[in-house]
Order: sequence, then structure tokens, then C-alpha cells
Amino acid sequence: MMIEPKYFELIQADLDGEIDLAGKAELEEFLAASEEGRGVYEELETLCRSLDGMPEMDPPQHLRHVLLNQAPVKAAAEPSPGFLRGLFSGPALGYAGVFAAGVALTLALVDSDQISRGTFDDMTGLVGTIADSKLTAPEHGTISVDESEVAGTVTLRSAGPLLIVDFDLSARQPVEIMVGYSDKTIWFNGFAQLESIGTTIAAQTGAVTVNMDGKRRYAVYLNNPGMRPATIDLRFMAKEQVIHEAQLSFSGTG
Amino acid sequence: MSEPDDIKLMERCSNGDRHAFELLLARYEKPVFNAAYRMLNSADDARDVTQTVFLKVYEHLDQFDPKYRFFSWIYRITLNESMNWLKKTNRLGALEGDTADTASGPEQEASNQQLSEGMQAALMTISPDYRAVIVLKHLLGCSYHEISEVLEIPEKTVKSRLYTARQRLQETLTERGLH
Repeated sequence: MMIEPKYFELIQADLDGEIDLAGKAELEEFLAASEEGRGVYEELETLCRSLDGMPEMDPPQHLRHVLLNQAPVKAAAEPSPGFLRGLFSGPALGYAGVFAAGVALTLALVDSDQISRGTFDDMTGLVGTIADSKLTAPEHGTISVDESEVAGTVTLRSAGPLLIVDFDLSARQPVEIMVGYSDKTIWFNGFAQLESIGTTIAAQTGAVTVNMDGKRRYAVYLNNPGMRPATIDLRFMAKEQVIHEAQLSFSGTG
Repeated sequence: MSEPDDIKLMERCSNGDRHAFELLLARYEKPVFNAAYRMLNSADDARDVTQTVFLKVYEHLDQFDPKYRFFSWIYRITLNESMNWLKKTNRLGALEGDTADTASGPEQEASNQQLSEGMQAALMTISPDYRAVIVLKHLLGCSYHEISEVLEIPEKTVKSRLYTARQRLQETLTERGLH
């Protein structure tokens, strides 16, 4: 026996919590008399339960920081370095674009012979664009790492309230680097890498953890709104063992 | 969904109040990300769309019409941006046999995970218009009226789309032995 379309509608409305009293009474009467109708009801109920039970995913941790970084653009009265926020604020810039902008910034900050060595040939257009901004980026120290698992340098720079931890490392095996900062007013502001794959990052309160393998060039951006003195603790780990520890310090300009 | 709060937060955002934006973000980041994820079946794409959505919200605060509710506005932007993303990546049609890009942990019960992944894969086999009503109803918990407001279609169309979407999902799940 065919089920009339109106009963399908009533079944759906009931399961969706959108049925009125008259419809409910009519549906109950129909279901009491129709085994086929009860079968349809049960099938749809099972489907709806499965759909309602689909798990929710947590967004990536650092996404909120990136999104928040867009917020101050409207606050025109707030003093800021300007160009950086402008970079992050354009509607055409997607997530990857933010990172690309970060890469460009990093490249503008590295000395020119690194660029002329050809390492970053594919990024020269971006370098040129950013170089026009005449951004000054004082260097506050460099540490060298020379371990069997990982070798290279990490440099701390600043640009206004931004602290830039600039990594140029080569790892022979997967290495985890924890970038720690005890000052609670500092927050993770962004991340940029030259390669689109190979380095992953996770931000928690007071620490950013980077996982890398192979030769990598990337930068972690921290926002230090008070431009206060800050110490950046670096801990390098391989196979869950600490292989190197170092500190970089910013003396503050606030 | 406490609408007066949303509207107040919107007003504060318009005046450059960063904290208000943070509160809106805290309220809507997860639903927006999850809606985009269910539409796109990719956490990376969902992340990009979420960023675009909040950029648009922030940049068009002054264009928000307070006669509508904030959630319907932000969900509309989310679904439109997801559709645009599908169009841009040539995935606007239904995808046969697309698999779910889930990030669930190993502790999750295997059968539940299989059903959940199967459901996501089945969702990707129906057209984005049908997927959108399922996402609004089952993920975001919207009523027929709210769905009609978000999608700007009559309630009657909402009901018929929901009916067809569920029927197609049921067929797909049955074919795959998951229902």
C-alpha cells in the first residue's frame, strides 16, 4: 500500500520538532494503522539520529590568533606599525596568503646576501614589494645550533610590537622545537614558512611548538604589545630527548 | 543563540572594540568551521573558509541589517563561501565515493567512526544545496524558519530539500551497507 505524501511530510515534521497538535494526532492515527508507515518513521528517525550524532571538530588552535589579528584593522585610532596589519587585513588574502605575507616579511628582514645566494629566488617578487615599506627590523641576537640531529641558526628580531623568531635549520630527523615565553601578555601572532609542507606548528599559552624535518626556513611571530623585555626559551627535542637548549632575549623598547 | 548580545557585540565591533570581536569569534568560530568542514570535507579548506568568513563579517559590519539575526547572516556567508570554494575547486557537483577527511582519535569506537565517516562520505554525494540544509538542520540545529532565513528560500522549499536530501542520504548509506 502506497503511503500518501502528506504522511511523509508529517513524519518529517514530527522528527524535526515542527509538527502542530492536529498534525501530531493525524500522524499517530496513521502510524497505529500502518506497519509500512512505522517502518518509514523508524528509518528516518535512525538517519536523523546518525546525522545529529556526527562529531564536531575543534578548529586549529592557531586559527583564532590569526583571526583576532584581523580585528584591530578597524580601530583606526589605535597606533600600529600599519603595514603589517594591512597585509593581514585584505579580504583577498586567504589563510595561505597570511603565511605568504609572513614569508615576505621574513625575507625582507634577512640580509641581502642570503637572498642573492639564490635560496629564495622564487620569492623575489614578494621581497621587492615588502622592501619598499622601509621596515626596520633590529636584530636582538642569534644562537647557533650544531647537533648531530639538527644544525643552523635562530635569530630574534623585532618590528614594532612584533617579535620575530627566525629559524634557518637543517634536521636529519624529525625535530620538535618548543618556543617558550613566560610573559603572559605575549601571544602567538603568526607563522610563515617557505615550504608549504614539512613544518607544522601548534600554539598554546606561553609556548609554540614547531615540528620539522629536513632543511627549513620559517619564522614564528609573537605579539609583544607592551614592547617589554622578553626572554624566548628554545628547547630542541628529537626522539623525545632534549638535544639542545638556548635563550634569546629582547631588551624592550616600551 | 542570544540575539541581543550578538547585535550589541556587532555594534561594539563597529566601534573598533577588539574584545567584542573576540567574543563573537569565541561564539561562532566552531560552528562556522564545522559547517564549512561538513560542506567541504576538508579541515584545511574549512580553516581557509572560516578565515574568509570572519574577514567578511568584520569588514562588512556596517552592512549588516539588524532586522535579520546575526547567526543567519554569518551562516549564510559561511555557506556561500563554501559554495564558492567548491566552485573554485571544481567540486560543485556531487562527488561519488568521496571519503571523509576526519581527524578523530583512536579511542573513538570503531563502528561509530565508520558510521560517522560513512555519513560524511554520503553527504559529499549529494549536491551542495541539499548538503546545506542538512548542515543547517543537523549540525547547526536550525528550525525550518531559520533555514529559510539563512538560505533565503521559502519554508516549503526547505522542507522539500530536507526530504530529498535525507532520502538520497538514506539510499547511499543503504547501498554502502551502513544503514
